[in-house]
Amino acid sequence: MKVATLSTEQAPPISVPLCFFAVAPVFLVLAALLLAAGGGNPFADTRSPASLAATHCITLGFMAMVMLGATQQLLPVVIGSPVPAPRLVAWSTLLPLTAGALLLSGGFMLGEPALLNLSWPLLGLAFLVFIGAGMLSLARASARNATKTAILLSILSLAVAVALGMLLARGYATGLPLPYTRLATAHIGLALGGWVMLLIAGAAYQVVPMFQLTPDYPKWLTANLAPAIFAVLLLGLASLLLEPAPRWMASATENLFWLLAACFAVVTLRLQNRRRRRVPDATLSFFRLGMLSLLLAALFSLASRLSPTANDYFGTLSVLIFLLGFAMSLTQGMLYKIIAFLVWFHLFRGGINAVKAGVPNMKEIIPEPWMWRHLWLHIGTLLAVLLAPLWGVAAWLVMLGLLLQGVLLGCAVLAGISVYRRTLGRIEQIPA
Amino acid sequence: MKTIAETMTADHKACDDEFAHAEQAAFAGNWSGAETGFNAFRNGMAHHFKMEEDVLFPALVSAGGPSGPVHIMRMEHTQIRGLLEQMAAALANKNAQEYGGLSETLLIVMQQHNLKEEQILYPIADQVLAAERETLFSQMREV
Repeated sequence: MKVATLSTEQAPPISVPLCFFAVAPVFLVLAALLLAAGGGNPFADTRSPASLAATHCITLGFMAMVMLGATQQLLPVVIGSPVPAPRLVAWSTLLPLTAGALLLSGGFMLGEPALLNLSWPLLGLAFLVFIGAGMLSLARASARNATKTAILLSILSLAVAVALGMLLARGYATGLPLPYTRLATAHIGLALGGWVMLLIAGAAYQVVPMFQLTPDYPKWLTANLAPAIFAVLLLGLASLLLEPAPRWMASATENLFWLLAACFAVVTLRLQNRRRRRVPDATLSFFRLGMLSLLLAALFSLASRLSPTANDYFGTLSVLIFLLGFAMSLTQGMLYKIIAFLVWFHLFRGGINAVKAGVPNMKEIIPEPWMWRHLWLHIGTLLAVLLAPLWGVAAWLVMLGLLLQGVLLGCAVLAGISVYRRTLGRIEQIPA
Repeated sequence: MKTIAETMTADHKACDDEFAHAEQAAFAGNWSGAETGFNAFRNGMAHHFKMEEDVLFPALVSAGGPSGPVHIMRMEHTQIRGLLEQMAAALANKNAQEYGGLSETLLIVMQQHNLKEEQILYPIADQVLAAERETLFSQMREV
């Protein structure tokens, strides 16, 4: 038993996670601007340069940025094992991820091979450091629980998704003869279905019962869900390796994935219905919106298979709602809690002087009305997403929604930082 | 017989219930309900801390258990006591907004603390103190 495992002193200085969280919203704004600059309706053709550029702004610049920053903070708490060399790991993920995401999006948008060629080694470095540190932290963890398994499988999926992404970027830049469609399918499947889905499930096993005061997730689910999803993803990968790829196998694995994902969403929503904490909570509402979106994404995927005439429309919606509805709702909801808590936590460590100076509580750090406004803005954006592939006006509303959400979230992070600085100043003025 | 981890985790959950009642009542502006709920919560927490600080932790350390984590748990108890005091003041002033913000903060602090105890410290206590469990439970009931 390592004494350090219970120590909150292992947490990196507050500036580290706050840098990740301050950079992330900028990428939401950038995604909106790229979509607007692309011309035409970017949601009608998800492989257009603007769509690819904006998608990677959201997945790498926004979501991966928040998830990498938050995971480094949360690992010590949820699996009882700190990340090794926290400062070094943080900076050597933050900087190459930021630069890599900018260059990759720029490369897609401008069709510029030189930018793509610069981007993939940087992104590779960022994820290599994160994956290495994460695996080391997992290997040292004394806790054995379903969260640890889910995070482990999530990081493994991420490793393969990143390797495929690097290969694809290099291929686009140099014109290598590669099976692009198959590689892209595997890349998307592992990034979204593996890394995002499993990380969220693993975190939810702990976060939902703990902070929303619900009953625990049932054992049959926590013991089997993540390994089952991972196995299904591997089967999907195997089907892509066969020549010719058997359609039935690809379709069966996709159906199974969505069935498992829907099962997770239903169980989570039912647990939340039985929560003991009944006061309104914006993070909880973001979380429930995310779970409803996951169900909706599963339904759209089913619809795309049942309706051959509208299959492109439903297929696009399924991915969009998974990304913007499920993954983004949860990321944003959790981010509000994490920022407010980190600020409080780091101020409260000021000891007796902190108490004398008066540390603001979490709701004074990021005002609650902002979070509710953001939630409604996000719901509006998602409603527009439903029509965006068919209707140009809705596409513009989605871009506007993303832009405003980026601005709002950015202001919230800056507000948190400013409360931190002001209070710290007051604490330091108190004579010892 | 139940393990130390099971018994203490059940006590955490009982405290969570009282916490939720008090918070709900304060949110609804039901101040007498909030006061009853909060007092039950604060007493429950005080008893839980006493069981740990007066019985479980000393027994764990003297049986060769790790003293570092025990020290950290004690420090976090102090942190939680501080928040409880602030909540009591907000309740006395019938300040719903202040109470809600503090209660939100306390929830995160308390749940992180509980998780660390439930996943790391109590399982160690169950290993190190297996033979003395019954004596410990009766001592804990008496504090």
